[in-house]
Amino acid sequence: MTISKMLLGAASLALVAGVAQANSHMAETSDKRIALSNNYAGNSWRQAMLQTFKETGEEAVSDGMVAAADAYTTSENQATEQAAQIQNMILQGYDAIVLNAASPTALNGAVKEACDAGVTVVSFDGIVTEPCAWRIAVDFAAMGKEQVDYLATRLPEGGNLLEIRGLAGVFVDDEISKGIHEGVAENDQFEIVGSVHGDWAQDVAQKAVAGILPSLPQVVGVVTQGGDGYGTAQAFKAAGRDTPLIVLGNRQDELQWWADQRDASDYETLSLSIAPGVASLAFWVAQQILAGEDVPKDLTVPFLKITQDSLDDALASTPEGSVANVSYALDDAKQVIADAK
Amino acid sequence: MTPLNLLAKPWIWSWLAASAAFGLTLGLTSGRGAGELAYAALSFGAFAAIVGLGQMLVITLGPGNVDLSIPATMTLAATLALKAMSSNPGTAFLGLGIALGVGVAAGLANYALIFLLRLPPIIATLAASLVYQSFAIWSNRGLRIKPPAGLADFATGRFLGLPNVAWVGLALAIVVWVVLERTVWGRMLLATGQNLRVARLAGVPVELVRATTYVLVAVFASLAGYLLASFSGGAALNMGAEYLLMSIAVVVIGGTSIAGGNSNVPGVWGAALFMFLVVSMLNSYGAGAGVRNVLTGTIIIAIVIAASTRRVRA
Repeated sequence: MTISKMLLGAASLALVAGVAQANSHMAETSDKRIALSNNYAGNSWRQAMLQTFKETGEEAVSDGMVAAADAYTTSENQATEQAAQIQNMILQGYDAIVLNAASPTALNGAVKEACDAGVTVVSFDGIVTEPCAWRIAVDFAAMGKEQVDYLATRLPEGGNLLEIRGLAGVFVDDEISKGIHEGVAENDQFEIVGSVHGDWAQDVAQKAVAGILPSLPQVVGVVTQGGDGYGTAQAFKAAGRDTPLIVLGNRQDELQWWADQRDASDYETLSLSIAPGVASLAFWVAQQILAGEDVPKDLTVPFLKITQDSLDDALASTPEGSVANVSYALDDAKQVIADAK
Repeated sequence: MTPLNLLAKPWIWSWLAASAAFGLTLGLTSGRGAGELAYAALSFGAFAAIVGLGQMLVITLGPGNVDLSIPATMTLAATLALKAMSSNPGTAFLGLGIALGVGVAAGLANYALIFLLRLPPIIATLAASLVYQSFAIWSNRGLRIKPPAGLADFATGRFLGLPNVAWVGLALAIVVWVVLERTVWGRMLLATGQNLRVARLAGVPVELVRATTYVLVAVFASLAGYLLASFSGGAALNMGAEYLLMSIAVVVIGGTSIAGGNSNVPGVWGAALFMFLVVSMLNSYGAGAGVRNVLTGTIIIAIVIAASTRRVRA
């Protein structure tokens, strides 16, 4: 842990030197202040996100890359409250706002005000549609489709699938589900025989699956959205059914369960989700924009995939009860920017 | 008791609705999986029943009395208990003690806000819940710690064919019923809910009754949180979220008067089973989230109307 941090620190120091020499035309950002506007903190993913942003920000400040990197979270997960928070940030004179938004559209007015005041706005995860802001988006539909494509390689015979959805009415839930249904349309040996909302929470998923299982025929695979795989497995176990192939979502308890099943019965699956560290990527992208770099408005971040081979490493590096994470460095941001050009 | 008398009981409607949802779900499978579904309903219904019993006592206190801090109390109690146990065997009772202690503290804090600052209970408990939730975030940063193996086995296990958590919920329901129907404290609670001023003039220590009720609801919530976290493999920061509306819904569907002064213990259990079964039924029939919410809402309104009209005629 400490070694990797030192390496990271050394790498970013080297980068600072490199940047200073190679891009002498780029503006200095050491007096710039960046704020994180976050709408929700009530789950392990968001906690890991805030932690990563804090670490990245503190390091950047001590390295003299920026003057401040402060995180603010609203208490009620409401767009009105977050809009007021953004207006405060404008008044406080931040140079850039890194934004995980409560709504893709409801914050557009506040975001426009920020742009008009000369503040750079970079949205990520929960992105905003206002054209003046930058967007670091995850291709959620591809994430859903990849699950079905993976199942097709493992279960060429096909069979019945159970779909665990997220929180009803949220953009991310619709996108992942759309991808899953596209995947099933292409792989017609599969049929989705049941669909429940697990709200990205293990206990909710466990309850929903326990309720629908008695009415389902044999299920060979479960497609999920993350944070719901462990609860699903528990519900199958409680019902005395064979454990199907459950695609997981990078939570530590899911990975631990996977490792236990692998050791006991050679269980094999795939786990994928967005790394909470995407906040650090957004931070560096904002820094690059402030430095005068020409950055396209729409960027894509790859999702973090864990396979049978990388399971042990992922499990070792994930704190107990948390979620698998990667922290993005400045050169990762540069790579993502270069890919988008 | 004639069937007509039975229909006049407000609690019968939640049990009828639960049976109908059960029957309709099994209609889809032509009877297969009946035991499985009943077992799941009893397991998950137990958590709703436990928080519902607490909420019922508070609502019985009369108009304006409600505890909105239930989800945060559940989360805080479960988080602190599981952190203290840190998966070590033999610590189940230590964890239980901590959870119940959190419940007592939260209940006293809620009542202090209501009594000392004269805040309406809705505002006081909502504000307090933000504090409890923040404590839960601050104390463990959302990390899920596994319960000790023995405790997890108890929470997911069964006795005489019924889930252990359902036995706990059933025992609590009987205790609450006896207390309400057969003890002086229960009578004082009902009197306070029917008319606060009359009760006070009649010599009922109304503030003491209110204080113990707010402590009881928080203790029930913390017990539910402790059991739920042990059942589902750890405490999560959002674990209590769905129990806010759930706790109020099971009270209302169960036939307890929202105006206070009239409790209904069997109805709470019927409604808790119904809330699980109706979602299972709509999921089994493949209803989307929108349709499911609309239908659930409509059915709840129908049951409440049925229960209240019958009472007026009777």
